[in-house]
Amino acid sequence: MIIINQDPPVKLGYSEAVAMVMIFIGSKAFLGYPRFLVDLGLNAAWLLVFISILISILFWLVIVSLLNRFPGKSLMEINQIVLGSFLGLVVNMISLLYIIISTSNLLRIFSDAVIITALPHAPISAMVILFVIAMWIAAYLGLEAISRNAYISLPFIIIGVTAVLLMLYPFWDIKELFPVMGIGPARLLFNSFLNISAFGEILLLGFLAPYFSFDGTKLKNIGIFSIASVGFYFLFITITYLMVIPLPSALESLTPFYQLSRSIYLGRYYQRLESVFIFFWIYTAFLRLSIGLILAAIVTRESLKIPYYRPLLPALIVIFFSLALTPAQFVTAISIEKYRMWFGWIFTFLIPTGIWVVALIRRKDETSG
Amino acid sequence: MILDKLKKNIIRYFTFHEKLKVEGFVLSGAVPGKKDTKKQSPKKEESKNKETKDGRRMKKKPQRVKREKTQQEENGAETKISSPFENLLVDPELKVNKEYINEIYFLPKNKDVIIRDFIIQLDGPKRAFAVFVEGISDRNTVNENVLKPLMLHSGLQEKINAIDVAEYLKTQIVYGNQTDVHDKYQDIIPQINYGSTAVFIEGVPRCLIVETKGWDRRSIGKSETEQVIRGPHEAFNETLRSNTGLLRKAIRNHNLITEFSKIGARNETDVAIMYLIDLANPNLVEEVKRRLKSISTDYVGESGILEQFIEDHPFMPIPQVLVTERPDRTTSFIMDGKVAVLLDGNPNVLIVPADLFSLLHSPEDYYLRMPYGNMVRLLRVIAVFIALITPALYVGVTIFHQEMIPTDLILAIAAGRETVPFPTIVEVFFMEFAFEMIREAGVRVPGVIGNTLGIVGALILGQAAVQAGIVSPILIIVVALTGLASFAIPNYSMSFAFRGIRFIFTGLAAIFGFFGITAGLFILLNGITSMKSFGVPLLAPIGPRTKSGPDIVMRGPVWSMEERPDFLDTQDRRRQPNVSRGWIKEESSNKSGGDDNN
Repeated sequence: MIIINQDPPVKLGYSEAVAMVMIFIGSKAFLGYPRFLVDLGLNAAWLLVFISILISILFWLVIVSLLNRFPGKSLMEINQIVLGSFLGLVVNMISLLYIIISTSNLLRIFSDAVIITALPHAPISAMVILFVIAMWIAAYLGLEAISRNAYISLPFIIIGVTAVLLMLYPFWDIKELFPVMGIGPARLLFNSFLNISAFGEILLLGFLAPYFSFDGTKLKNIGIFSIASVGFYFLFITITYLMVIPLPSALESLTPFYQLSRSIYLGRYYQRLESVFIFFWIYTAFLRLSIGLILAAIVTRESLKIPYYRPLLPALIVIFFSLALTPAQFVTAISIEKYRMWFGWIFTFLIPTGIWVVALIRRKDETSG
Repeated sequence: MILDKLKKNIIRYFTFHEKLKVEGFVLSGAVPGKKDTKKQSPKKEESKNKETKDGRRMKKKPQRVKREKTQQEENGAETKISSPFENLLVDPELKVNKEYINEIYFLPKNKDVIIRDFIIQLDGPKRAFAVFVEGISDRNTVNENVLKPLMLHSGLQEKINAIDVAEYLKTQIVYGNQTDVHDKYQDIIPQINYGSTAVFIEGVPRCLIVETKGWDRRSIGKSETEQVIRGPHEAFNETLRSNTGLLRKAIRNHNLITEFSKIGARNETDVAIMYLIDLANPNLVEEVKRRLKSISTDYVGESGILEQFIEDHPFMPIPQVLVTERPDRTTSFIMDGKVAVLLDGNPNVLIVPADLFSLLHSPEDYYLRMPYGNMVRLLRVIAVFIALITPALYVGVTIFHQEMIPTDLILAIAAGRETVPFPTIVEVFFMEFAFEMIREAGVRVPGVIGNTLGIVGALILGQAAVQAGIVSPILIIVVALTGLASFAIPNYSMSFAFRGIRFIFTGLAAIFGFFGITAGLFILLNGITSMKSFGVPLLAPIGPRTKSGPDIVMRGPVWSMEERPDFLDTQDRRRQPNVSRGWIKEESSNKSGGDDNN
């Protein structure tokens, strides 16, 4: 079946793709992710990140191999080619559900994080509304605009994060990283596998494959580069977090990155810099959520063969808004996020791998499409 | 009725509608097929000839001037408004021609149009009359170049064909440097309207047109809105021909093309586009011409109006056309492969496509040495951010984020605000509006009072407001800083855009603090990244990333700007070779024994 895509043509370059994926994966570092890592790996959390990067790259190579069997086709189309239109649609809907739930939960967590860090007396709905309006406008303006925005702002975000981490240098205590193996090699390896969900957002490249102006080899490199560089920052943040905040407190912080920026003290005049860093991480949140929204819209459009994505936005916005406000408390949202981190890899890595296996067995490739 | 309309509008705004035909234009490097133009041109020529032949036959039955009828037709017609003398031909009878002219120009009611009767000594005396418009035709030129030769020097002995008389006068008698012969009124009248003199001769079905333009005009003066210390000071003026002349004087290249067209049906205004034919992307030139041609309106009087007709996103605050009054700046853009659009009667030239970074550049950035130029640019980038978010930051800090500033400073702010009875946002809006009013009044007020206005506004209003306890002293600093910063933005439209946006940011900061400002910045940047100017993304070359020389926010040394911006897709990408300073190459080759790296 031919998709009649009547939206304006979109072509994304190498740099825009990298920036978008890096922000899509990396934004969780501003939320509870460092704490989640410490939860999983205690003192060896940084080692856990390292192992997760390697496992994620392996999975990515499998996904790229699947994508390269069908050049220029998105994961949604590939699913339908490989599994047939009904099963393919079911898988696509599962992916869509995962995207919607993960993004709306992140929307809730980001909104709560804004309340904790910047606006303690504000109602949660007001925060969610502003997020949702900005997401709507950004998604309406299109993928090109969001990706360029990501590319332009990424250097500033990286500079901001690096500055926070380096400014904590006086508090680094290398002893906190020991014992090196932390919870023991076997558990470390198992938990590292669980943690690959953190890199599951790399699947964005698969969903948006038709929009890229480069070939499969570059796509592979972009994926590896993005996982490695975001992983490096996860590593950097985790190591700093472990070295600066003592382990018992590190297990309890709701917003570890904010706590890190609060800890900066470079003399009397440079001690309250957290408000400045609010700009960086909130900006990242806007980008992350907008990418999530437009991705949900594009997945829906391509799965259901709808000519435009823009009419879907109001409906998706309402769904996001309602789901974000569904958890009764912030803690509930955090535990949902925890479950997502534990089982997210099933949706992001296992299903595409399964489809790759089916494609291999059924010898499906571009000619059969 | 009204309710239905309202309901329809509300539904229209809140529901999705398919765009019918999006005339999206993306600038690409492809050279348009020359075949098409070749194919078209002979056809056009043919049809032109046919018209003339038909016209010649029609001349035996002269038409009346169809003024009333045409106007009635116009009322119902959506197409271009036709002139009342369309297809009207010059009559061999002088009397008929005079009637036509009387009717077209409402003579003798209209006192501007002068008809001068005289006699030309051809084979025998031939009666003739000259028509010109007082005020836009130069009196001396009409006397010396038209009347004098025709009346004095036309003592002819040879016999000539009646139709060729005009041609004969044009080639041998009249001195005018631009003369022409026409037989259609639709070609003659616009020329009379633009200062030329038309000569009608008894028994000759053609009219001699002599260029006699000459009106009072401003001489080329100093640039007033884009002043520089280093660099040329001359600016465009209101005369199209002077402006094209200024550019041609600067670009002495046979490839510089000036194409003229007319815009406006009731009052045709000349518009010229200038570009380098061997450099500018032909697709871009075609697109500019297409947009200009497609404009169907009564009158376009100012380049600002023309800008609004051709821009891509009319509702966005950021301008998409660069406007300049400096010939040197226009020259550099044309040399980059952009297209300049000049409108008659306007000292402002439109440059397309525009990118956000050139809107923030000043010509002086290039004239100054690289370190100074960069210093000025850095200052300007900071100024943009100050103009955009300082009041918002102040509001955010005082309402929500007091903890972010050092204790001493927050105490000072708190002490200053202690006597102020209004909430921060009210005092900020009050002062910002006052500042905007001073600025607006400064532009509108007569020059004599203007000087005092600044003092009244700045000193008395600010000082008095603080003393009266209406605003806090720190706010005065914030407002003054914001105002200064907005003056540092070189582009007038850009300055307007940021001034407007800062109010939105301030409002967002009052409701959501830094979260609101971040939301504002996010939406703004998304808006800008989605914009295009004549097929070129406004944020090129960084959004999307394209190849570009070292001249985006900061600039490198002039000798390192080897290539033109990639996003313009010019026919020749290279501005200069990798080693543009030959003397360095010579020195190094002398040392290394003549190795050529270029």
